[in-house]
Amino acid sequence: MADKKDNREVVLRLSDITMQFGGVVAVDNLNLDVHKNEIVGLIGPNGAGKTTAFNCITGVYEPTNGAIEINGQVVIENYPQGKMKDSYQGRNQGKYTKAITMLPDKVTKLGVARTFQNIRLFKGMTVLENVMVAMHMNQSESVFGATFRSKKAREEEKAMREEALDLLKKVDLYENRDDMSTSLPYGKQRHLEIARALATHPSILLLDEPAAGMNPQESDDLMRFIGRIRDEFDLSILMIEHHMQVIMGICEHIYVLNYGGQIADGTPAEIQANPAVIEAYLGGDE
Amino acid sequence: MDKTLNSKTKTLLSIACIAAFLVFVYIGDNTIPPGSSWKMMITVIEKGSIFALVAASMNLLNGFTGLFSLGQAGFMLIGAYTYAIFTIPGKSHDAVYQYFDGGLIKWSIVEILEGKLGVLGHYIGMFIPMIGAGLIVALIAFLIGIPVLRLKSDYLAIATLGFAEILRAFFQWNTLGPITNGSNVLRKYTTYGNAIFPVIIAGICIAIIMLLINSTYGRAFRAIRDDEIAAEAMGVNLFKHKEMSFVISSFFAGISGALLAMFQTTINATPFNTVMTYEILLIVVIGGIGSITGSIIGAFLFTAASEWWLRGLDAGRWLGISSSLMRPGFRKVVFAVLIMLIVLFYAQGIMGSREFSWDRFIAWWKNLPSNLKSWPERHKAKATARKEARATKAAAKAKAKAAKEEGEAKKASGEKLFTPLPTSNEVMVFGKEGK
Amino acid sequence: MGFLHTWLPYILAGIAVGGQYALIAIGYTMVYGILRLINFAHGDVFMWSGLIMVYLITVLPLWVSVILVILFAIILGTTIEKVAYRPLRTAPRMSIMISAIGVSYLLQNFALYITGGLTKTYPTIAWLQKTVTIGTATTKMVTVITPILTIVLVALLVLLIQKTKIGMAMRAVSRDFETSSLMGIDINRVITVTFVIGCGLAAIGSVLYFSNYTGIQPMSGAMPGLKAFVAAVFGGIGSVPGAVVGAFVIGVAENLIKGAGWTTFSDAFTFVLLIVILMVKPTGLFGEKNIDKV
Repeated sequence: MADKKDNREVVLRLSDITMQFGGVVAVDNLNLDVHKNEIVGLIGPNGAGKTTAFNCITGVYEPTNGAIEINGQVVIENYPQGKMKDSYQGRNQGKYTKAITMLPDKVTKLGVARTFQNIRLFKGMTVLENVMVAMHMNQSESVFGATFRSKKAREEEKAMREEALDLLKKVDLYENRDDMSTSLPYGKQRHLEIARALATHPSILLLDEPAAGMNPQESDDLMRFIGRIRDEFDLSILMIEHHMQVIMGICEHIYVLNYGGQIADGTPAEIQANPAVIEAYLGGDE
Repeated sequence: MDKTLNSKTKTLLSIACIAAFLVFVYIGDNTIPPGSSWKMMITVIEKGSIFALVAASMNLLNGFTGLFSLGQAGFMLIGAYTYAIFTIPGKSHDAVYQYFDGGLIKWSIVEILEGKLGVLGHYIGMFIPMIGAGLIVALIAFLIGIPVLRLKSDYLAIATLGFAEILRAFFQWNTLGPITNGSNVLRKYTTYGNAIFPVIIAGICIAIIMLLINSTYGRAFRAIRDDEIAAEAMGVNLFKHKEMSFVISSFFAGISGALLAMFQTTINATPFNTVMTYEILLIVVIGGIGSITGSIIGAFLFTAASEWWLRGLDAGRWLGISSSLMRPGFRKVVFAVLIMLIVLFYAQGIMGSREFSWDRFIAWWKNLPSNLKSWPERHKAKATARKEARATKAAAKAKAKAAKEEGEAKKASGEKLFTPLPTSNEVMVFGKEGK
Repeated sequence: MGFLHTWLPYILAGIAVGGQYALIAIGYTMVYGILRLINFAHGDVFMWSGLIMVYLITVLPLWVSVILVILFAIILGTTIEKVAYRPLRTAPRMSIMISAIGVSYLLQNFALYITGGLTKTYPTIAWLQKTVTIGTATTKMVTVITPILTIVLVALLVLLIQKTKIGMAMRAVSRDFETSSLMGIDINRVITVTFVIGCGLAAIGSVLYFSNYTGIQPMSGAMPGLKAFVAAVFGGIGSVPGAVVGAFVIGVAENLIKGAGWTTFSDAFTFVLLIVILMVKPTGLFGEKNIDKV
């Protein structure tokens, strides 16, 4: 239903993703596509399972059922096994037969970077170091060489530093490069989280409530900022957000979750007119 | 800080200080007669530098990678034994392994190389088993790390503590007697001649640890310490980096074990117990978790206090005070109390998570007189602040009490305050918050 | 029959030691359930209870001494909580663990000072040393009494936790510390009660445990303490019945290993068990799964 009119290639596809914790179904049969260079919104009331979906994509949780494709390749797939076999309440049982798991760092290496709802910066490090950590996985020198400062290690370190500083300039954090990450004001911490995610050279960026706690002016800036990095870094973006202004302003396609289930998807205009969405948000007439 | 030194001056200053220190240790150990309190100082420097190394290695784990590991004494034990076993001269084997027919290994690496290369061979012969000790410990740590490093904080602490105890039992096992001498003492192995030896070795090792911490891998370690989930999301392979930190830390613990064996001239598995690990941990805490220079300072202070400054407390007379309370063991009690005070009221330790720098040192030195002068005032201000805090607390308590009384009155009048929690019939009495 | 004849003494001894471990393990598991803290000092409170008994018995009759020992352990335990753990309650978990290690270090060193490093002879309690014959094995009264007493005390404790108001508060606090305090539960009181129960049982355990051994020295508490902790982990930390089951398993297994002639490894076995359980089922036998929130 999602890709009937979009001809761009699909970079991220969730098929029948279901996440069940004990008896609680946190995400129920989520089907979602993100196309190349698209900005996709994921909305829904609190507890709808949005962050859980993010955690499934990034390998933090193992979904109970369903599959996730990144750039056309199935990287995560699971079906109800063990204890879950009997207690599974979702649909599409038997459709998936393989169990492919992937640790979060591998997912990141495949080009999926994320930010966190409750900012998770490295507290004991400076702004610059926070960004440089994210580049660590791309360097190739061994511990031994890095410790004894081989020529290669020095070159890589220099290149990393330059790239990190460059990135900080682009997100307006250059002046704060030597500050401790936690001493930054809240809005800048959000920017740093995005910069850190960008440092992993992603092709897909997952933003978890980037505008949380921002005033209308700040969220307006953020909107423009997200659009800018999409173009500059050639990204496809999937974002969770509660600020309707932001979501409606920049997303090309929106998915709506409620109680784990997917209740609607479509363009911003379609979503705004969808009675099921309005009911979920405002409560329907009993 | 009005003026900072340029980096060249700082480097020169550091080199000069280190050189002066080494010369002092070398000459001191050669010339000072035993028995004087200056000799005590040399001993403190010797032992202090060995413990500085093991504390730095533990800090690499606890302070920089966020792994609360308590296996350090066990790793030192393997290091000490490995070194000792391979350096007992052939002719001493019968005496040392008297209950095991002279043991299994009848040669010493030192002897073999000395025979071939002379004095140079002697030193190479000491280095090979020392590095070997580190490597064997690293290998064992690698194997232990595979299961253990998947555990979370306190479970990891207990599991590493447990492994250290297993290792200790293993080394005292009689069946291994021909190699480890069972529960008997190992002695007569080659040791160093001058106190400068452990100082230099420990210094080099600590420098390597610092280089590692400041490399890109060190940054990844610190990222894991600060936030595992975020580090993983940034592409840091948790297991690989934890294992790396664990193995490297253990390597240096092994080296320090070998040095300790040389320092003590005899070794036995018994003292490498949990108390020893606790002491190393307390050194790290005193110096500051997350500061290598802190660990060095902590190690020297710890050794000096326990071996030297507080000695008098055991002998009945200390700083001119004599008391019948002061009998053997009193020193350790005072010492433990001091440590508890640090843990409770000065939790960040001497250095916190900062490293030593000349700029900071000079600034501190310059401000020292004014700081000392203003101390009474600051103390007064602090006391007032404390008093105020106490008053606020008391007020809050009174308020809470009033509220409680009100609630009780309401309850007495039959009003329901909140619905009681349901009683569960599960076997589980206490459980972690489930989902 | 020959098999039983050889092994029965070891099994009986194992059950007795298991009961003693159980009494210590309850203190660990309850404190962990509520504070999420491995109380490293618990083994030393146990050791001190034994030590105090040595001194008290010289001047007081047995029953008075036992009561005073229990009181002493309770006072010591709650004081430790008040002085060393309470101020750090909001600090990172590593700090409070370090504080626990510091207390353990202090208690051991203080014991070293008091005893002068000498092993003290534990008083012989005649009644506990009486010989009893069970089947083919002859054993001491303490071997029979320990499991019975342990089961009775644990049953009482479970009743307390399930049926009383303070028990309800304890369950609530172990589920969710913050919410319970918002619900008007006096957290400090709950924690104090937890320490009172834990240390009281450890003191009873010390009387039973040390009557089996002739001597007591400052390090006597460390090993039983660690083993009891492993028992708590084995049973699923936070669960009282789990700790008891774990303690009996460890006690019996350790004695069987001794019986097989592997005495050197009887201590090590405990830790092997710990590592195996942490690998296979980190939540222990009766533990619940805990999901990390991201």
